[in-house]
Amino acid sequence: MATKKRERLDVIKDILHAIMENRKIKPTRLLYASNLSPQMFKEYINELISKKFIKLDIDDKEKKTFSLTKKGQDFLQEYKVIENFIENFGL
Amino acid sequence: MTLYSLIIENKWMLEVLYALLISTICTAIVFKTDKFFRLSLHTGIRYFRNAFLFFGAAFAARYIFGVFSDMSVDYSYLIRIIFEYLLVMAGFFLFYSLIWKKIESTKESYASSLFNAKIAIFHIIALIIAVLDNLWQTYYFMFLSQVIIFSYASIIAYINYKKDENKHRFLRFYFVAMLLGLTAWFLNLLAASYFQWNPGILINIGIINVIFFLLFLYGIVKVTQKNGNKKT
Repeated sequence: MATKKRERLDVIKDILHAIMENRKIKPTRLLYASNLSPQMFKEYINELISKKFIKLDIDDKEKKTFSLTKKGQDFLQEYKVIENFIENFGL
Repeated sequence: MTLYSLIIENKWMLEVLYALLISTICTAIVFKTDKFFRLSLHTGIRYFRNAFLFFGAAFAARYIFGVFSDMSVDYSYLIRIIFEYLLVMAGFFLFYSLIWKKIESTKESYASSLFNAKIAIFHIIALIIAVLDNLWQTYYFMFLSQVIIFSYASIIAYINYKKDENKHRFLRFYFVAMLLGLTAWFLNLLAASYFQWNPGILINIGIINVIFFLLFLYGIVKVTQKNGNKKT
């Protein structure tokens, strides 16, 4: 069965939701959870970091994990409202 | 004294109040939608916000600054060009917010939604319209351009409403708002062309415009309520 291509906003929501569920998540695990190609995943992650929705933490053992910023948390809270607005105004 | 004659005698004051009302509504819409854009980075919201930014600026420029200027010829000429440019751009942005997905790819990303390669053509057309109207001392070019824009926007709004199958209630109001906008611009064209700016027609145009903006504000407030946020 063909699945509908996700809108950009839905992809962002899925990524942020995956991070929120795990509090801190490794890049590989997030890649699988996001269901994106590695190239698209990298593009989205770079954008989310640059727009300060998520942050990349590196510990003493140089292990990388992603976590949500306050802005990322706000987005998840407002996501349904924003989605409703976009659909009602045909944007 | 009838209501009509009361309005005519206080035309100056009512024009200022009218402009203040619309500017205030537009400001509220811009603040609300800007918050959504900053969280979502959604391009459609960005252009929708820009539309009401330009609408608010246009009414502020034309009525508030025009009314309180010393009304020298050069100054009123400049105010008129600015007003027309802003109003035409507002119409373009509103229309573009409905069609941007068909024109921009998801990979395109502009630092500025006010000045970029896609929007540049709108700026050029808006300036040409404003300058031509001033050269001919008319408003025909602006009225005609907006009738065309709002005709297309009404068709798109209707298609969106019909495709939706009543899942999102405000799409019906959006279509009605577009029809009201089209009606107002068409009446403007008629008032200028055939009715010598009949005050009665202008008053009705003003009322339609207020309803147009209030409808958008109502829609934004209603669909973004958080309590029991169901499909509106």
